[in-house]
Parts: sequence; C-alpha cells; structure tokens
Amino acid sequence: MENLEHFLTQVWFVILALFLFLYVMLDGFDLGVGILSLTSSSEERRGILMTSLGNIWDANETWLVLMGGALFGAFPLAYGTILNALYIPIFGMIFGLIFRAVAFEFREHSTNKVFWNLAFGVGSFMAALFQGFALGSVLEGIAVDEAGHFVGSIWDWLDWRSILVALTLIQGYVLIGSTYLILKTEGELQATHYRTAKLAAITTLIGAILITIVTPVVYENARAKLFHQPEVYIFALIPLLGVVLIGLLLRSLNQKAEATPLVWTILLFLLTFVGLGLVVFPYIIPPSITIYQAAAAPSALVFMIIFIGFLIPIMLFYNIYNYIVFRGKVSGEHYSES
Amino acid sequence: MNIWADTVALSRMQFALTAIFHMLWPVLTTGMGIYLVIVEGLWLKTRNSDYYYHARFWAKLYVLNFGIGVATGLPMEFQFGTNWAPFSEAVGDFFGSILGFEAAMAFMLEAGFLGIMLFGWERVNPKIHYFATIMVAFGANLSTFWILAANSWLQTPAGGEVVNGKFIVDDYFQAILNPFMFISVSHMFFATLETSLFVIGGISAWYILNHRHAEFFSRSLKIVVAVAIAVTPLQIYIGHLSAEQVAHYQPTKLAAMEAKWETSPAGQPADWSLVALPNNKLERNDWEISIPNGLGYILEFKKNLSEPVLGLKEWQPDDRPKMVGLVYYSFRLMSGIGFFLAGLMGVSVIQWLRGKFAPEAIAQQKWLLRTWLLAAPLGYIAVESGWIVRCVGRQPWVVYGQIRTADGVSNLPASEVLTSLLIFAGVYTTLFICAMFFGSRIIRQGPNLELSVPGIENQPAVETEPAEFIPDQRPVEAQQ
Repeated sequence: MENLEHFLTQVWFVILALFLFLYVMLDGFDLGVGILSLTSSSEERRGILMTSLGNIWDANETWLVLMGGALFGAFPLAYGTILNALYIPIFGMIFGLIFRAVAFEFREHSTNKVFWNLAFGVGSFMAALFQGFALGSVLEGIAVDEAGHFVGSIWDWLDWRSILVALTLIQGYVLIGSTYLILKTEGELQATHYRTAKLAAITTLIGAILITIVTPVVYENARAKLFHQPEVYIFALIPLLGVVLIGLLLRSLNQKAEATPLVWTILLFLLTFVGLGLVVFPYIIPPSITIYQAAAAPSALVFMIIFIGFLIPIMLFYNIYNYIVFRGKVSGEHYSES
Repeated sequence: MNIWADTVALSRMQFALTAIFHMLWPVLTTGMGIYLVIVEGLWLKTRNSDYYYHARFWAKLYVLNFGIGVATGLPMEFQFGTNWAPFSEAVGDFFGSILGFEAAMAFMLEAGFLGIMLFGWERVNPKIHYFATIMVAFGANLSTFWILAANSWLQTPAGGEVVNGKFIVDDYFQAILNPFMFISVSHMFFATLETSLFVIGGISAWYILNHRHAEFFSRSLKIVVAVAIAVTPLQIYIGHLSAEQVAHYQPTKLAAMEAKWETSPAGQPADWSLVALPNNKLERNDWEISIPNGLGYILEFKKNLSEPVLGLKEWQPDDRPKMVGLVYYSFRLMSGIGFFLAGLMGVSVIQWLRGKFAPEAIAQQKWLLRTWLLAAPLGYIAVESGWIVRCVGRQPWVVYGQIRTADGVSNLPASEVLTSLLIFAGVYTTLFICAMFFGSRIIRQGPNLELSVPGIENQPAVETEPAEFIPDQRPVEAQQ
C-alpha cells in the first residue's frame, strides 16, 4: 500500500514537472519575444513580433494555470505554503502577465501605441523577473514549521542568489525567444535575432556557470546530495552536456540555421530542468517537506489521474496542431485581417 | 476593529474585488461563444455572407473580452494559495483537483482552439474552423460547469467530512454531484447566455437606432430574440429552484436574503418583505414594506408554510451573515432584472409577430430599441448581484457549516495585503475603463463588410448562361 502511495505521488511529481517544463519552454519563448520587443526599432517590427505570438500566447500561458491547478489538487500543502511564502513574487508575476496579456488587444485597437508597447515589453520582463525570484527562492529553501506551514518573512525571497537566478532565467527566455524569432521571421529582423541569440547564449552560459558553482558552495543540503556517490557522476555530466549544447547552439547560429537553434535551446532547457529536478527531488518544499508529506490523499491522486492524466496526450495533440496550422514565417502585421 | 489592519477582511475584499471585476469578461465570452456557433452554423448552412460578417464582427468583441478575462482570471486561481493557504491545504484534495480539471478540460480546450477560430479563417477548411469555434464555446461552458461544481461544493459540501481541520473525501462523485451542483450550473449557464444575448441585442438596437446597417443588425436582433424567448422564462424558473435549495440547505442565507429576523412557524402564513432597512445591531428592520402572506406563495405556491422559515435570531451573531442589507438588496436587484428582461422579451416577441421586426419597419420601433439598449448592461448587474448573494450570504463560512472563512486565511501582514489590494483596485479599474473605451471603439467602427468570404471567390457573382461561359485561362494554381 505504501509503495502504491509513493508511486502515485511520484507520478504526480513527474506530471507537474512536465506541466512546468512545457510552461517554461512555451511561455519562455513567449516572454522572451516580449522582452525583445523592447529593443524593436519600429512599430512594424513590434507588430510582427506580436503577430508571431497572437494565436498561441494564451494557450502557452494556460500551462501555468494547469500547473497551478494540478499543484493545488495533488500537493495542497505545497501549494498553500509556497504561494504564501512567495506572496510578492507571485503578484509581481501576475501583474506583469496581466499587462502583457491585455496589450495584445489594446495595442491593436489603440491609436497611440507607445503605452501598450511598454505594457507588453515591461510586463513580459516583470513576469520573467519574478518567476526567476520564485524559482531562486524555492531552490534556496522556504522556512516552515513542523507541519510544513510558512513561518518566514514576506521578503525571504529576495537576496543575491535569487537575483542571480532571476537574471539567468531572463537571459534564458531571451535566448529561446530569439531562436523562436529566427524560425518565424526573415530578412533584417531575422539577422537581428541571430545577434541577440548569440549574446543571450553567452550571458545564459555565464549565469548557469555561476549558479552551478554557487549551489554546492552555499547550500549544505545540495552539497551533500551532489557529491554523494554514485550520483556525482550524473551531476557532473549535466554541466558538461550543457557546455556541449551551447557549443552546438553557437555553431548552428554561425551557420545561419533556422530551426536547429531552437532545437538546441529546447534541449538546453530540458537538461537544466532535469538537473534542477534531480537536485530538488524528493522535496517539494525544500529543504524539509518531501512530496510524500505534501501529497493529497491517494484517492485524490487517482481521481486526478483519471480526469487529467488521460487528457495530457489530447492536450498535446491539439496544441501541436495549432502550431502546424500556423507554421511558416510571419509575413505581415496580421495573420489575417480581423 | 479597523478593517484596514485586518488580514481576513482585506483578503476577503481582495478576493471579492478581483472576482467582481473578472466576472465581467468571461460572463460575456461564455455566452457569446454559443452565439458565434449559431451564426457560423447559419453561414455554413445558408452560405449567406451576412452571417459570416456577423461571425467576424462579434468575434472582435469576443477576443477583446477574452483577453481581459484571461488576464484578470489568473489572480483568482493563485489567490487561493497566496491569501488562503490554510483553506487550500484543508480542501485541496477536492477543490484543488476541480480547479485542475477546469484548466485541463475546459480552459486548455478554449485556449488551444481560440487561435484557429480567430486567425484560421484562411488557413483551415470551414468545417475544421467550425469545429474550432464549437470547441472554444464548449470549453468556456465546461469552465462554467467545473467552477460552479467547485463553488457549489463550498456551499453544500458532500462526499466526506472534516477530520482534524482537513476535508477528507470518501466519494469524489458524490462531492461533484453535491446538492447545489446541477441547479447552480444551470443557473449560471443561462445567466451567461442571457447576459450575452442582451449585450448583442442592445448593440444591434444601437446600430438600428442610428440607421447604420439596420437590415444587417435586425438579423442579429432576431437571432437574439429567438434564443432568449426560451432562456428568460427558464432562467426565472431555475432561479426559483435555486432559492428553494437555499431555503433547504442554507437557512442563514435565506434569512439574510429576506432580511428575516424572527422565525415564521409552519402551518401559518408569513409576510414577504419587498423593501426594508435592515439593522444588524438591533436585529430588526428599521422600516419595511411587505406583502401580506407573500412568503408562502413565493416558496411553495400556497398560503401557509409547510415548513418553518427560520429567522436570523435563531443563530448566534457569529454564525450568520453580517451584511444582511447587501444580500437582501442584491437578491432583489437580481430577481427584478430577471423579470424585467423576461418582460422585454415578451413585448419584443409580440412586436415581431405583428411584423414590426421587418427590415423596413424595425427602425421605427424607437422605444423598444431604446429599452434594448438600456437592457444591455442589466445582465452583468444581475450576475454580480447573484454572486454577492451566493458568496456573501454564506458567510461566516468558507465551506458552509464546516470551515470558517477566518480560519482559512494565510498568515500575512495586513500591510502587504492592503498594498496588493490597492494595486488590484487601480489596475482593474484601469482595465475596466480601457475595455469600455476600446469596446466602444470597435462598436463605433462597425462590421467590416468588405472582407473576402472564404469559398466565395470561385463562385460567379451573377448567374451566367452557359452560352456566355468564358473558360478560365489562368494557370490551374491561380484558379484555386
């Protein structure tokens, strides 16, 4: 029975990780394009950038809603404690997402676009920044009592390490956003994003190296885990693979490939994600509450697998179909007149 | 107590503020989705381009509302964790699962097909496009189902019990099929549909009054009347069933809805209060106009009550809603609007039957069209009032009779909640003003009747005789 409970909990940990990864990858390029729009020189360019997202931004953001709902249902304790601890970053992210979401429609109908351009770009930046703070502070650990309830201060999430994580995440989003735009645009606009992709690849690499060094030096728990035999080989492999992927990415950028930069970037995201997952597991509120302590009752986990688990392939199918329908370059300001 | 330093009061205010604002947008898109399915279906069936232009025009308002709905809905989900962490922990097994289902089944479906519905006209064939439109509408209404199932469960918790402060669910299907679920889902489904119909009808009336595309918009008005003729009376009936359920399961809420302080015993008639000035301190109404023997007729269609109707004084002040006046008047506002809209519908049907809706006659129906214009915002007011009755009326419980609202709040400094509340108030007010501004701009611009209609280009505009047939000499690709 205990084995089954553990298994169900692990299944939900994996499902949540999948939702989070899909969110970070999909809304990642979405937010990255938003941040890049701040550097656009003309309204026409911004129009193309926003059109490249018009049909998908909302579906991409839905993975966050899905992740939230699934975390709430499968790990209610973690949902309450983490969100309570991250009050300011969560609302910072939400206000960022609100502004960028409404900018899509309001910019279209507005005659003075300056404000909505800023709302789109700054909103994207804010959302990415506060997601980085949230990620950084969960990795650092959340102060809880024995029952797993948050006992820290409302500003716990802010220190130099979470700033480092936040800046790196922004760079990562800019990188994946640039490689997406390389795929979706042509001409001068594409040339610009070859440059931004290269720059972002290098800054992301620097951030990743710093985080890799800082993690075992500063965190005792992580150190014990990372240098434990035989896992140490796996953990050593991840940064090495990361360097290889960045090399491949830079090479594809130099060769002016159109699709492969995005592929290498996605693999880089996946690798980082697996690395972080291995560092955190089996904790869901690091450093003290495991997934088993925070999980909902087994009956709830089964109930949710029945209603959500079986939908995952269907959701993936129609999301992919959406990308297929709108494949190809974005040519004008609009996919079609509306 | 100073409410500006009270985390519970501030968190409640923040939730109420975000919910009241958020509701304005999905309430329209949910009902309008069904309308879009109807007009696109009519287009596919009749191939009359007017219906195509209707689909394109209303979709513009749809997407404006949809975008703001998504943006303002995001905080709703996250607030359960940020501001109501103990509540989330206590009910996560069921309530959290349901929010997950809503996202996976409903919201994702809507978001996944929205892009094709809006931008896919030229990229997919009309049948796939129609499928996408149906999925968008279906997803939105499935959202209503799950959200109302979850909220109904908070009102009539079923399928388990609270053990050590945590709700343990024994039977998930019993929890979903809780006593309130079916009627609540239906009431909300018809509320979104009715609100959207009167918005569409009101805007159509505005165009006709202004002599802009009068014939075009008489079409949408007729579709609205044809659908609403069934919806408005049905909604009153479902509302009545809903009130009966409240009387049975949530007597404190019923007492607040009727500002009833003293119990009316069974077997006797009781008055029904029409207007009153409830006084919470003195536990009575300072002033009141009531209809003699009305309560029995309203609840059971007969003079004498068969079961007692309990007054608020039956409970300790801590166990009953405090904002009696708000609940009392919200209820009256909602029901009054329901009857008004049904009446407007009746008059419109009579005028239609008298032939006054014909394209050449409709613009003369000035008073009727003006009433339609006036009725456009009423659905929203009714929906908001209904939710106030539903959620303020169940206080002081977050899970009725089981978990108190005050026990569900996160341990947060009041100043932080006040700050976020003020930012929400500012941002949401701005969004509301922008929505009104850009919405009215779309309406003033009117429909674009010059768009090319998919599949029409190849058909000759005028029927040609075979003798006049000129073969198309363009290359095969260009003929497509």
